[in-house]
Amino acid sequence: MASNAVTALPNRDALRDPVLLLPLAVAVGLAVGWIGTQQHVAGSRIAADLALSWAVMAASLVVLERPRWRRTRWLLASTPFALLGADLEWVSSHAVWTLGFLLEGLWAALLVQLVVTFPEGRPWSRLARTAVFGAYALTLGGQVVGALVVPDTRDLLAVTSDPSVAHAIDRAQAITGACVALGVLVLVLQRVRALGGPARRAQQPLLLAAAITAVAGLVWLGWVIATDARATTLETIARALAVTMPVGIVVGIGSSRLRRPQASELVVELRSEAAATMQQRLARALGDPTLDVAYRLGDGRYVDAAGRPIKLTQRADRAVTAVTAGGEEIAALVHDPALLDEPALVESVRTTAALVLENERLAAEVRSQLAEVRASRGRIVAAADAERRRIERNLHDGAQQRLVTLSVTLGLAASRADSATAGVLARAQDELEDAIGELRELARGIHPTLLRDEGLTAAVEALARRAPVPVTVQSNAQERLPDQVELAAYFLVSEALTNVVKHASATHASVLLEREPTTLRVTVSDDGVGGARIAPESGLAGLRDRLEALDATLSIASGAGHGTRVSTLFPCGS
Amino acid sequence: MLIVDDHQPFRAVARELLESAGYIVAGEAADAAGALAAVAVHHPDAVLLDVQLPDRDGFAVATELTAADGPAVVLISSRDADDYGRRVAASGARGFIPKSKLSAATVAALLE
Repeated sequence: MASNAVTALPNRDALRDPVLLLPLAVAVGLAVGWIGTQQHVAGSRIAADLALSWAVMAASLVVLERPRWRRTRWLLASTPFALLGADLEWVSSHAVWTLGFLLEGLWAALLVQLVVTFPEGRPWSRLARTAVFGAYALTLGGQVVGALVVPDTRDLLAVTSDPSVAHAIDRAQAITGACVALGVLVLVLQRVRALGGPARRAQQPLLLAAAITAVAGLVWLGWVIATDARATTLETIARALAVTMPVGIVVGIGSSRLRRPQASELVVELRSEAAATMQQRLARALGDPTLDVAYRLGDGRYVDAAGRPIKLTQRADRAVTAVTAGGEEIAALVHDPALLDEPALVESVRTTAALVLENERLAAEVRSQLAEVRASRGRIVAAADAERRRIERNLHDGAQQRLVTLSVTLGLAASRADSATAGVLARAQDELEDAIGELRELARGIHPTLLRDEGLTAAVEALARRAPVPVTVQSNAQERLPDQVELAAYFLVSEALTNVVKHASATHASVLLEREPTTLRVTVSDDGVGGARIAPESGLAGLRDRLEALDATLSIASGAGHGTRVSTLFPCGS
Repeated sequence: MLIVDDHQPFRAVARELLESAGYIVAGEAADAAGALAAVAVHHPDAVLLDVQLPDRDGFAVATELTAADGPAVVLISSRDADDYGRRVAASGARGFIPKSKLSAATVAALLE
């Protein structure tokens, strides 16, 4: 938008173009200054008004480079004419004098609006809106009422010339003015404290200037209220200090421009080891600690550096800038919208960062894929568990049920048969009992009912009771844990105890279940011969997928002659 | 006695086994709802109750039956007592018999 304004054809409405307003403001200023000299107005007062007018006009041109500050620009461009218009009071013509009288304080109201809506032209708060309203009511409204009563022969609008009425209105104006100045001071101080990052850099100088001017205005009006005198010197000082405001705007824009690093410095900054992550380096380079980087994957999704999915949502307090490489978007920078005021800085970071970000994006993509693989492994394990549960149930409801019925039937037949037949039937029933026992053991190995119903500790205690070597169980894991953790821990204990029985020649084993707030540690140890390791085809190796799907780590310590200790740490929240 | 089990052939052989040992089998039920209804009608002295019923958990049914000064409950299952941990003791039942060990003697031992 700004560049459009600058390159617009000269025959466009000249008054809409601040560049053409500059010579106009200079000409009007010179004219008003000449009139002031003719009318013997104090030189300091003329100098203060011209300095303020021209400085504000110059600031309105500097603001052109900030497209989002359009409203501020127009407030700045109007202020010099309001200020010089008020000086028409120096003219002896009654009509011109009256016009000047009506415009007397308008410039101050414009500056109040400028400050409390800075920089984008929207009031900061309800108090800011009230301050703006108060400022216009005070200056425009107050002068119109004043024009009706002011005891001056040049006043064309006067309906009475009672000096006491005019005096009362003057005092009321001074008191309201002091309230507005105080309100502005409070607002500005709040704003300075709240600002951060790039916005602070660009806006703070104006805010400090506004605070100084507000204090000067308070002193002047306070003096007027207290002494009932005109206090012309204090008024001139306040006007002169107001010059710091346009200066503050220029300084703010200039300092954020100075802060803009060169492309070569940016490369150094973005590759420096001073900051741990790309996000931190970019945040430093752009001076925006809230900056986030979202990497765009091939399928259009966005992830953070760790590969976790991110949703880019439209928010008023965040702005998004795309980083492209080879015409393709590789990342999005999510940042403070104030950075949009420094398009050149963002642009140079964007081009410089593209190369470095491409590497980061590939890393993020790999991390995201890893996370997906882990999630998919988890789903596979969960599906397998569901299938195991179904098979166990079928075994129990089907074959086991029938074999058990058959066994009871055989027992009944034996009780009614002669002794020779009863012997045969008893042997058949014993054989059948063994088969049922094996089937039951098989079903338990597939999916233990007790684990599902009673939890890990009860199921591990049952494993210990059935083991052929003495096993002690110590556990503080009384509450239920996620299904997958319980199953994996159970299978781990079961497998480790099987190994103890098969290989360790141990006289005793122990199982320790330690529940901490975010973890479960499972340790199985024995006093056997040691020297065990996780062979590729062993049962423990077979649990690896299940454990890795849960981010659990398996460790084994087994020095020869020192027993074996298998330990796993499961991450699991409470 | 009342026999509760969802497997009909098992109920048949259990009835025969109990009757030949001198017990009077007042009825049979295939699920928890049928069991509670049959208990209300026949007021049996004892119930042979399968742990896994199609509609409800056998332990819960045992607790309900024994709480109201009802019949003695003997739990049965094709699984082992070890598969159920403390639930047998907590249910209020007289005891547990694995189905394959079911005989007049094991039932009598729990009911005496």
